[in-house]
Amino acid sequence: MAEPVLKLRGVCKRFGALEVLKGIDLDVAKGEVICILGPSGSGKSTLLRCVNLLEPPEEGEILLEGKDICKGPGSGTGEQSWNLDFVRQRVGMVFQQFNLFPHKTVLENVTMAPERVLGRSKGEAREKGTALLERVGLGEKLAQYPERLSGGQQQRVAIARALAMEPHVMLFDEVTSALDPELVKEVLDTMRELAGEGMTMLVVTHELGFAKEVGDQVVFMDGGVIVEQGPPAEVLENPREERTKQFLGLVLDR
Amino acid sequence: MSQFFNQYFNFDVMREHFGEVFVGFLQNLLVFAVAAVLALALGLFLALLRQLPGKKLMPIRFLTIAYIDFFRAVPILIIILMISGGVPFLSFLPQEVRIPHWFGRPDPFWYGVAALVIVYGAFSAEVYRAGIEAVPRGQMEAARSLGMSHFQAMRYVVVPQGVTKIPAPMLNELISLLKDTTLVSVIALSESVLVSREVLSERLNSSSLTLTAIFFVIIILPLARVVDKLIARQQLKVTRGSHIEVA
Repeated sequence: MAEPVLKLRGVCKRFGALEVLKGIDLDVAKGEVICILGPSGSGKSTLLRCVNLLEPPEEGEILLEGKDICKGPGSGTGEQSWNLDFVRQRVGMVFQQFNLFPHKTVLENVTMAPERVLGRSKGEAREKGTALLERVGLGEKLAQYPERLSGGQQQRVAIARALAMEPHVMLFDEVTSALDPELVKEVLDTMRELAGEGMTMLVVTHELGFAKEVGDQVVFMDGGVIVEQGPPAEVLENPREERTKQFLGLVLDR
Repeated sequence: MSQFFNQYFNFDVMREHFGEVFVGFLQNLLVFAVAAVLALALGLFLALLRQLPGKKLMPIRFLTIAYIDFFRAVPILIIILMISGGVPFLSFLPQEVRIPHWFGRPDPFWYGVAALVIVYGAFSAEVYRAGIEAVPRGQMEAARSLGMSHFQAMRYVVVPQGVTKIPAPMLNELISLLKDTTLVSVIALSESVLVSREVLSERLNSSSLTLTAIFFVIIILPLARVVDKLIARQQLKVTRGSHIEVA
């Protein structure tokens, strides 16, 4: 097997006395889609936030394309340093609450980082941003402000905004949880397409259907550890662990 | 009663000294304009220092907070007196800084401006802070996750949103600053209150002070209404559902 794009070993994260991640090991191969399931408070979101160093882990290593991103100047302090640049130019993230910039138009949301961070020219950034927004089906909304868009549209803008930085890995943190039910599909469809194009994705989700269909692997987390991991068919249909069974039972009973 | 009225509302005194008092009031407005611009800039700078991330920059945050707390606590009058009484004797400073006459303004003008900027920089820093902290955390996180530095995220994402939330409280600070320009009279800047008191001792009549008060009221009352409007508009936004929060 080729060297994984992302390799986590013994990742621990504490908030004061609260141990949120208790030693996570995970390999993510290029082009793989990993869906992370688990009850709230199990550490799923924190895991994603560790991977792009929004919450630098206290222990363990995270190898991104072979480089340990937890070491190096500034690690653990939340400051700008080479590993932050290295990580954030390779890892894109989409949030549950979209977090679009409300004072900027849809297109400006997408072009801001390429212009400011990558130093792209305005014309180049606009051209690429327009193409990305067309790809997520929002070519007509370029000049709108985010508040005029539905939640599903906003979330697709957020995906385009992350893609504009040409990430190698995309992190999705419960991106459909804040959406009205009828808007979930359009966002999942966008993610499905992205997966089809070979993007490496880590997806924290409660959408079991999506995990089953798109996920190459499913990871079930509880209490800060990975309880069970494997192909979706195994984990979702024949879970070995009692805790997984219990959780899936609760989710499916809804 | 008529004696009282004559003491404070003698229209002859007002008319005869209108010109002097008005020129003095223009001096107040000039002190205000210079101090306001500088205080707003200093306040933003302090607010940004206060928001610096990371453990290593803790001392800077601590010093900034100490500055803000200290200068909000000390009466401005004392600061004015200390600057005008102290700075001229700081022999390591060049002459034109110790006794400044920049742009043809006398040294009390600049001592007064300095004191007001120091104090109102601290006050406005707190207003900026309220604005910055009212921007949801997710905005900073989104900006950082897109590769922006802390400074870029502040400059392009957080501060532009934060300042739209604070015009009303900031205008209140500015109103207060405008009134406090009269304190510079204690170091003999010929602004409206000093001129009025000179008239008072010359004519033994306080109507010039009343006139000065009227000038301030004329300028400030409309501003107070603007504050009301701004607050009402902000309230409307909140009740309509802020465009940032998404349920």
